[in-house]
Amino acid sequence: MRIDLESLSKNFGATRVLRDFSLQIEDGEFLVLLGPSGCGKTTCLRTIAGLEQPDSGRVLLGGRDVTHAEPRDRDMAMVFQSYALYPHLDVFENIAFPLRVRKAGAKDVERRVRQAAERLGLGALLQRRPRELSGGQRQRVALARAIVRQPNAFLFDEPLSNLDAKLRVEMRAELKRLQHDLGVTSVYVTHDQAEAMTLGRRLAVMKDGVLEQIGAPEEVYSHPANLFVAGFLGNPAMNFFPGRVDSDARAFVAGTVRVPLDAAQLDRLPVGAAVTLGVRPENIDLGRTSNDGWIGGRVYVSEAMGNETLVIATVGEYQVCCRTTPEARFDFEAPVWLRLRPDRLHFFDSATTRALWP
Amino acid sequence: MRRAWLWFAPAMVVLVALSVYPFLYAVDISLRTPSGYGLSNFTRLPTDQFFLVSLWQTLVYTAGALALEFTLGFVLAMLVNREFRGRQVLRSILLIPMLLPPVVVAVIWRLILNPEFGVLNGTLRTLGFDTKGLTWLGAERSAMFSVILVDVWQWTPFMFLLLLAGLQGLPVEPFEAAVVDGASRWQIFRRLTLPMLKPVIAIAVLLRGMDLLRVFDQIFILTQGGPGFATETVTLYIYRTAFRYWNFGYAAAMSFVLLVAITVITRSFLRILRQQPA
Amino acid sequence: MKRQSSLEKFAGPALLAGVAALTLFPVYWLVTMSIKQEVDQFAVPPLWISFRPTLEHYYDIFWVRPFATYFFNSVVVAGVSTVVALAIGTLAAYSLARSPRPGLAFWVLSTRMFPPIVSVIPLLLMLRWAGLLNSRTALIILYTGFNLPFVIWMMRGFFAEIPPDLEEAAMMDGETRLGALWKVLLPVVKPGLAATAAFCLVIAWNEFLFALIMSQTDAGTTLPVGIAGRVTQYEIKWGAMSAAGVVAMLPVFLFASAMQKHLVRGLSLGAVKG
Repeated sequence: MRIDLESLSKNFGATRVLRDFSLQIEDGEFLVLLGPSGCGKTTCLRTIAGLEQPDSGRVLLGGRDVTHAEPRDRDMAMVFQSYALYPHLDVFENIAFPLRVRKAGAKDVERRVRQAAERLGLGALLQRRPRELSGGQRQRVALARAIVRQPNAFLFDEPLSNLDAKLRVEMRAELKRLQHDLGVTSVYVTHDQAEAMTLGRRLAVMKDGVLEQIGAPEEVYSHPANLFVAGFLGNPAMNFFPGRVDSDARAFVAGTVRVPLDAAQLDRLPVGAAVTLGVRPENIDLGRTSNDGWIGGRVYVSEAMGNETLVIATVGEYQVCCRTTPEARFDFEAPVWLRLRPDRLHFFDSATTRALWP
Repeated sequence: MRRAWLWFAPAMVVLVALSVYPFLYAVDISLRTPSGYGLSNFTRLPTDQFFLVSLWQTLVYTAGALALEFTLGFVLAMLVNREFRGRQVLRSILLIPMLLPPVVVAVIWRLILNPEFGVLNGTLRTLGFDTKGLTWLGAERSAMFSVILVDVWQWTPFMFLLLLAGLQGLPVEPFEAAVVDGASRWQIFRRLTLPMLKPVIAIAVLLRGMDLLRVFDQIFILTQGGPGFATETVTLYIYRTAFRYWNFGYAAAMSFVLLVAITVITRSFLRILRQQPA
Repeated sequence: MKRQSSLEKFAGPALLAGVAALTLFPVYWLVTMSIKQEVDQFAVPPLWISFRPTLEHYYDIFWVRPFATYFFNSVVVAGVSTVVALAIGTLAAYSLARSPRPGLAFWVLSTRMFPPIVSVIPLLLMLRWAGLLNSRTALIILYTGFNLPFVIWMMRGFFAEIPPDLEEAAMMDGETRLGALWKVLLPVVKPGLAATAAFCLVIAWNEFLFALIMSQTDAGTTLPVGIAGRVTQYEIKWGAMSAAGVVAMLPVFLFASAMQKHLVRGLSLGAVKG
């Protein structure tokens, strides 16, 4: 069901957790809320759930105002970071709990619990207590409890963050498929950008209770709206060079770093004003010999990751991270030359942090 | 949580009705005198020999019992603070006395301490001792000692269990580090165990002390404050004033003095404890 | 580690065995007195083990004297006051655990630290005004008040250990908050609830001062008062007293097992003694 958040505000004491926060979530959509800890994403989710009340603003569910409705009247399913399984009930009864609350018939309960359990591979574990399960199994029980009914929405509060890395990747794929099959509106809160990039049809980046950018994940990654989004998405993070545009030299200048600009860029960028250049590690070419327009530096450290090699180079007063081929090997302090790919440059207004280019 | 106060409201009603209101009512009662409202109930206190003696005896009783219970409880806890067979059983056994109704405890000890028929003097006589002078609860000289003894029997396990729990809650690493650093047992006890155990000691002594200061049931059954006035504590004297002489105003005034005394003693105890360098 | 000296090896356990014996003997003696015939009770040398047991004293207290009434009164008063205190206190404890108010919590505890003698006169007058003297109702009300702060503090601790996720999950699954408390939280804190209940029962069962003052007739007299009333009389039937004492201490042994696990927490809140 469609969910609308209309200028929500929420304070905890002096802390402003949500500030005039608005968001539309389409029916059947998978939306991911991404942000650093304390950005208000969990509060936002809990406000949708009805576990928190906003100080002002409205929550609409399918066009109906549910701002002050109890969670039970919203009929949403939530998967908690801690899974929040009922320790005194076995797996079957945990999954059956939402149905029992709704006084479903015994046969119906049996059928739907089995169905949900089979879907998540829990068929053999129905008689176990939560404490007898592994972390991954508990996670699946929590999911099964959510999908055992047809709720208005699924709310996920960092559901994978307590799993180990390998399991997390598996469950991520599983979850994406599950949501596609069920087609239920889903809101997913995470601070993990891999989850954010892969899961969501749309990605909303939050900071300090404010929505920084919303869009398709590729779009947000390739066209970050401001310095924060640019720096937050991507691992390793985008390299930044605060400097200014020199129109005489037709270049961007930041200390010893000089990057030639084309006509269109010169046209768009404010001459003389403080501008920050951003470039992702994968958009830097690394060479051992000098070429025209390349920037010289020295290797600070080089890290072979197996599938790629990360080189951190000292360039003037900057440390620049570059991503290169797995075979590449560099000694400490070896001289290197860098080329920032001209078609992959980002420019931001240093004062307002807003994107100027592209 | 929405409307949290609503969940607290029933408890609030009960607490106000049975605790706050009676307290204010007691203030009112203590100020009532035959000639209207006044402070005469309070001004009379320092001149009342019985009251002063009962106050003194309360302190003697509290200090005596507290010192014995703490020392015994601590020594026992230090001894038991290691694994040995039957520790669970011992714990269960030690739990018994403090759970017993004080009235039953008093009955038991009156049986045991009875000078003519009691099992204590009977045993001593069998062993050839002359028990003529050993009247325990019956003589002014020994009555206070006897009531303290009964309390020690009943409440030493409390000290023991709290202190043992405290000892077992201490982290192991500092003690291992001290052993590696070559500290002697006495040094470890003096410089690690005691300071780290201080909060638990404080709680145990404080709780026991507050209970002792307001003792009633046991002494009431054991001696009724007698013989003569030998074991009359403040609460017994208040009870006598209120329900034998039916002087509610004076009894209420005395109960406030007791309350203030308990508060002052508790506070200063906490302050002393806090000032000591850890 | 240092080697244990032989003194430590044997002195410790021996001492503890002695302590256990000293602790148990008075209780044992009470039990024997309750089943000894009067001629055997005060024999010199005392009859430690070999005597002809009899149940006459138990017959005496239950069929000749009104101890059956006292026992019934004690059971009703302790039972009902515990249930009421648990019901009210659990709600308050949950509220304090989820919306912490340290000042309020401390105030609750401080009401318990009051010496009961301060409030006994006003409460007597209040109950007399309400026409409740000499009734079980009076004691039920009073003991509910006694136990409430204790229940609130104990249960607040137990609830605080449970992440709020648990009841929130139940609320998302369609329960009301009260339903979540009942169906999810209470089953989870069951051992703690049992311990709290056991402590309350013991406190109410053992209480003496208020029971003594609020009841002058058998209708509201509890076991401790019934026993005390006869101990202080001139002619003391020791056999009957011992039998009554044994009856009065029996339930306490039943509750002890429920307390074991949370014993220290209960003790450090000043339980057991009212």
